[in-house]
Amino acid sequence: MTFDTTTIVYMLEIIVGGLLVGIGVHFVPVGGAPAAMAQATGIGTGTVQLAAGSGLTGLLSAGLMMYAMTLNPNFATEGYSLWPILLTGACGAMIMMDSTMLTGSWIYAYAVGAPFASAKVNYDPITGFSQPPYVAPGTVGQGIPTVCFVSGTIGAAMGGLGGALIYFPLVLINGNPALSAIFAIGIFMVDAVLASWNIQGTIEGFHDPKFKKWPKAFKSCLVATVILALVAVLITPLGGV
Amino acid sequence: MDAFGMGLVAAMGALATVAGASEDIDSDIGSQSNPNSQVQLAAQVGNPHRIYNKAIAGEPPSNALWCTTAAIMAYVLIEGYGMPLLFAAAAGASLAALFDGVMSISAYLGRNASQARFNQWIYLDIIRYTTPSIMAHVWITSFCIVLISIIQVYVLTPHHPFPIPVIALVWGLTVGAIGSSVGDIHYGGEREFQWRLFGQGLNTMLSGQIVRKAEAGLRNSIDNAWFCAKFGGPCTGMGFGLTVFLDNWRTTVFDPITQATYAIAMGVFFVIVMNLYNFYCELSARRKYGPYPGYKGDIAA
Repeated sequence: MTFDTTTIVYMLEIIVGGLLVGIGVHFVPVGGAPAAMAQATGIGTGTVQLAAGSGLTGLLSAGLMMYAMTLNPNFATEGYSLWPILLTGACGAMIMMDSTMLTGSWIYAYAVGAPFASAKVNYDPITGFSQPPYVAPGTVGQGIPTVCFVSGTIGAAMGGLGGALIYFPLVLINGNPALSAIFAIGIFMVDAVLASWNIQGTIEGFHDPKFKKWPKAFKSCLVATVILALVAVLITPLGGV
Repeated sequence: MDAFGMGLVAAMGALATVAGASEDIDSDIGSQSNPNSQVQLAAQVGNPHRIYNKAIAGEPPSNALWCTTAAIMAYVLIEGYGMPLLFAAAAGASLAALFDGVMSISAYLGRNASQARFNQWIYLDIIRYTTPSIMAHVWITSFCIVLISIIQVYVLTPHHPFPIPVIALVWGLTVGAIGSSVGDIHYGGEREFQWRLFGQGLNTMLSGQIVRKAEAGLRNSIDNAWFCAKFGGPCTGMGFGLTVFLDNWRTTVFDPITQATYAIAMGVFFVIVMNLYNFYCELSARRKYGPYPGYKGDIAA
């Protein structure tokens, strides 16, 4: 293979995609196992698992959109256009994250019976609702208040955008959607895990004090993704070109 | 948009709903994922129990494993031997269910054997009649997800460029993530702690004090499945069904080649509606349960 300007652009796209995933994870309100017991605010699962679930749903949509472009009769002259692929990825991820949070909210509201409250702020920055009176003793909040929901939607959008931005150059490099998808999932996981360590497993969203630690994740994701991007551009199509 | 495509998307949504519900009930029977922390803890704080205890992995990776196993077998049967699609999916799901049975039994034996010092027994009757129902639910989940992948790759136009196993891996991860975020709350927050005060979160002091008596006799995991199938399972199914249906609906109704902008705008519209619906849920929960009666602070409710 030749190492030219196009290769550097591909690498930059992969790096930006990885950073978007890393930062996006900080927005997703994840409470871990305590949240599943209505002891903590957020979604009751692990950060990486949820970010991967939403980002990869976006990846499926982005892959379909990218393939659909090749079916366009004018494809030979127009080529791929990047924005529809990225935005479709973001939309797919947002739909998955929002359906998850919404159905989770039904259970918090109608089965467990807990008013939604955040223990990290006194007033919800978006709705202005007071929070501490609704937090039961022995818990650090319950449910998914509006600020967490909006934050989760933003995080999913960034994850989906990042996943699609990693996938797009990989397909252009090796021309194999399956190989690119698996490698994109790999890069996605690395960045999501790094960000998850940075927030120590749980976070409520952009209003959480832990969110201020994002520059650390930014740096570590940058280093990891640069290495992965170097490896990624070296992958040649199966059977050679 | 064609009627056939819409029918296929509707079928995918229905299959996804069934897959989500059975995935959640499978994890409830086996106490997988988040509520497993309480089942583990119960014996350690002096509450030995008769509840199945398997935590093979987090729900998303384990479901991704079952669905990919099923999809690989189906893929080989379809591409290599020209088998019918439905038969291939059923054969693949059976293999996944067998794998799950082996791992569930070893997880149950290993976890309970390691808790012998806390007086936690290994119940062979629990293994005998609970493991088959776990396997049955895994069969349903992986069958539905392999069928969704087959529809996306072979039938729905434009055909998806990823091969069946990769799509099944992604949907398996997603259904596990949804089951772990949605259905687990019903099992962990409600079923395991049914005697806590209603209308508030669970006090950390109650950790490990799970309910061990059933409506009749001692509670086992089949009782939990009976309870969670009423609300937690259907909600998980709804979450996964909405994801699969809405995401594919917008690219089927609007042609992704010529009307990509509309497809994206439709997605954004769904997202806004769901944000508003959650706000409504928050309002109704706050109104219904009200502030905590013993609150001592100075912030008005």
